Amino acid sequence: MLKPSHSSLNRRRLLTSGIAVIGVSLVAACSQAAAPSPTAAPAAPTTAAAKPTTASAQPTAASAAAKPTTAPAAPTAAPAAQAQPSTAAGGQLEMFTGKILNPPGVQDKVNQQLISDFQKANPGVKISWSTYTSASEETTKIETSVASGSGPDIFEFGSTVVPTAAATGDYVVLSTSDWDTLGGQKKFFPAQLKMSGLSPGQLIAVPEYMLPFALVYNTDLLDQAGAKPPTTWTEFIDTAKKINNPSKQIWGTVMDPSDPFDPWHILWVLAKQNGGDFVSADLTKATMNTQQVYDANRFWFDWMAKYQVANIGDATFKGTDQLNAFSSGHVGMLVMQGPTLIPSLDKSAVAGKYAFAPMPTIPYGMSASPAGGEPVQTFVSGQYLTIAKYTKVHDLALQWLKFMTDVPQQMVFLKSYGYMPAIEAAYTDPSLQTPIWKAFVDAENHAYGTPLTGAWGPIEVVVGGYSAKIAAAIATKSYQSGDLKKALAAAQDQVQKLLDDEQAKKKQAGA
Amino acid sequence: MFSQSAEPAARPKSAGRLASQTSWLSRLTRERATTVPYYLMIPTALFLIVVVLVPFFLGLYVSLTNLNQYTIANWLHAPFVGLANYVAALTQPGAVSASFPQSIWASVSFALFTTVAIVPISIVGALMMDAEFPGRGFFRSLFLIPYVIPTFVNAIIWRLIFINNYGLADRVLPLVGLGAPTDFWLIGPRTFWAMVIADVWASWPFVYLMVLAALQSVPQEVEDAAEIDGAGVTARFFGITLPLIQPTLTLAILLSTIGHFNNFTLPFVLFGTPPPPAVDVLPITVYINSFQIFNFGMGAAMSVLTLLVMMIPATLYMRLVRLGAME
Repeated sequence: MLKPSHSSLNRRRLLTSGIAVIGVSLVAACSQAAAPSPTAAPAAPTTAAAKPTTASAQPTAASAAAKPTTAPAAPTAAPAAQAQPSTAAGGQLEMFTGKILNPPGVQDKVNQQLISDFQKANPGVKISWSTYTSASEETTKIETSVASGSGPDIFEFGSTVVPTAAATGDYVVLSTSDWDTLGGQKKFFPAQLKMSGLSPGQLIAVPEYMLPFALVYNTDLLDQAGAKPPTTWTEFIDTAKKINNPSKQIWGTVMDPSDPFDPWHILWVLAKQNGGDFVSADLTKATMNTQQVYDANRFWFDWMAKYQVANIGDATFKGTDQLNAFSSGHVGMLVMQGPTLIPSLDKSAVAGKYAFAPMPTIPYGMSASPAGGEPVQTFVSGQYLTIAKYTKVHDLALQWLKFMTDVPQQMVFLKSYGYMPAIEAAYTDPSLQTPIWKAFVDAENHAYGTPLTGAWGPIEVVVGGYSAKIAAAIATKSYQSGDLKKALAAAQDQVQKLLDDEQAKKKQAGA
Repeated sequence: MFSQSAEPAARPKSAGRLASQTSWLSRLTRERATTVPYYLMIPTALFLIVVVLVPFFLGLYVSLTNLNQYTIANWLHAPFVGLANYVAALTQPGAVSASFPQSIWASVSFALFTTVAIVPISIVGALMMDAEFPGRGFFRSLFLIPYVIPTFVNAIIWRLIFINNYGLADRVLPLVGLGAPTDFWLIGPRTFWAMVIADVWASWPFVYLMVLAALQSVPQEVEDAAEIDGAGVTARFFGITLPLIQPTLTLAILLSTIGHFNNFTLPFVLFGTPPPPAVDVLPITVYINSFQIFNFGMGAAMSVLTLLVMMIPATLYMRLVRLGAME
């Protein structure tokens, strides 16, 4: 006969078992919750935002210094939907997009309006969305969704993430029929399609909007210095020196070497202008240890170390820090910025005191591009929409992509966030006939694509990694001659390993 | 007679049956008493298998493969590379993050320094709050504020304090002759101390709470007797209080050390990625390798190696519990 204590023990164990069962149920419930519950209205965003990916622009000299005359207006009601009825009635669509923080609180309203318009043309469709606030979140979601074979039906990626996503092989390669549904490839800016997939026949991403880069400058500070926007890097340094007034905390320019992703933007552009690149043209060899890449890096870090046109404190800066510094009116010139900056600048201390100009293209100390150097001002940049292979609502997802890339919705992006439409038809609108937008369109038409390797995402991180270390060494006066070469040598090994992995995968696929 | 004679004859039979039944029931009961608890453990065991063992063995498997962005879509068929990831983790310098040995050093140093700083602060705080005084409840609650603030909020607060040139640290410390307004706390060698300070502020209430709870169980009579015998405050603390709270204190120190070692959020938010080498602790290194460079195999190998390192305090903890030191 069991003793009372045993009986008690049994009850306790029963209780424990019950708790365990409840725990398992909770875990199961959590995993269920990972998939969005069907909601007629979009789910509240859980995270936020997208790192503006890039788009590139090559404004001409004539268009340089065009002041923004059409700051994006406050969000307006979305125009009437032009969505085609879905081939399948009903259905549930989940999207994963970047969080748009500027202007604050607008994204929810815009998305709800867009979804409502889409639902009018597609009755019974339920759409939910979640957002990411950083590139880390963006890539983590890709990895977990790919590994588990479940998750959002539609992903929004930055242009440089597309090759990495394509490398997973888990996103739908758009067929001719798919492109026809979207309105054809000619609907989009040709440069944007350069980054839509690993090869022209393997496009997975539909351009959603583009974000060309240029140089933004403080017109007051340049006027006071009696300077014009620079067209060469020599002029850039000279102008920055004229603006510099450290005693008043006024600096010629600003940097963000501690940002995990940003540094490659300027360093890649500088490397291309010098005639170099981070990887070889055939994407098999790392070229981080070349003289051209070294010169690009040395020049950028010398803004702090040698020319002292950037505050040494910038060594701790991330992307938002440098934007804040420029917005405060203490910085003369800020490189590699797109039109998305306009809404926040218009609400800052430099409102009405800034303008955009093309990025300089001639390396420091030179009067013309060196042999092999290219006049790169920017790279193809922007946001793209992709469909996951595991989706069960492919046709519905395609309809959504078409809807989002039609003129009315593209204009909503422009008016709500300052995002440039990725389709050419949108540019007949009078609001896009101003010098600033024409300059950015010109830039877009001359944009260079970054290497189409699936290793590009990690390469960005590698560059961000050594950038933070070198900047910290300079700021804390522990930098020693040869440190940069050592850092680039380590980066070379790391990048080569990434490329080797890709080659191995290609060989495996070929076999 | 018959009945009389038959009855005794029947009695043994019936008694035998009864004895046999009793014995069978007894055996069954004994068996059930022994086996039923095991059956009842099944849900718990299943839970542990799903939550602990399956991920552990998956992690172990992944650490033996070259799992990256090219193979993750079909991760069960990622190329098997044996111990290559372990060898690389232990021998190769990190291009983005610190190398594994550097990260181990950073993590161990951080955990130890933080714990060493926290223990005296916590004991003094607990002793103060153990004494009776007006408003004790208010101060007890006040001391818990750092502990209830989410770690990422704490990290943001300290990032603002340590930000170069404009932060509170660079504005206040020079006034008392400790440093210059241009000192860097978020990059360079001071980063380690910035992280220790931020973590000490955020986590000392944990040890404080444990010690305060232990102090409640110290018999007042023993303290009084020692005081009558002429023992001073210091002698009473080291001779009576400390030995009596030592088991709880040991557990608190152990758990606190493990907590510091595994702290990801604080360095991640305070310094971002990649962090300066001095604060490139293991959780950050594993994160960078796995989720930024997409080298999941290497990340998993580092995680397994971290587990081995963590086995040291974990074993100590289990021994303490088994030996009844907590009682």
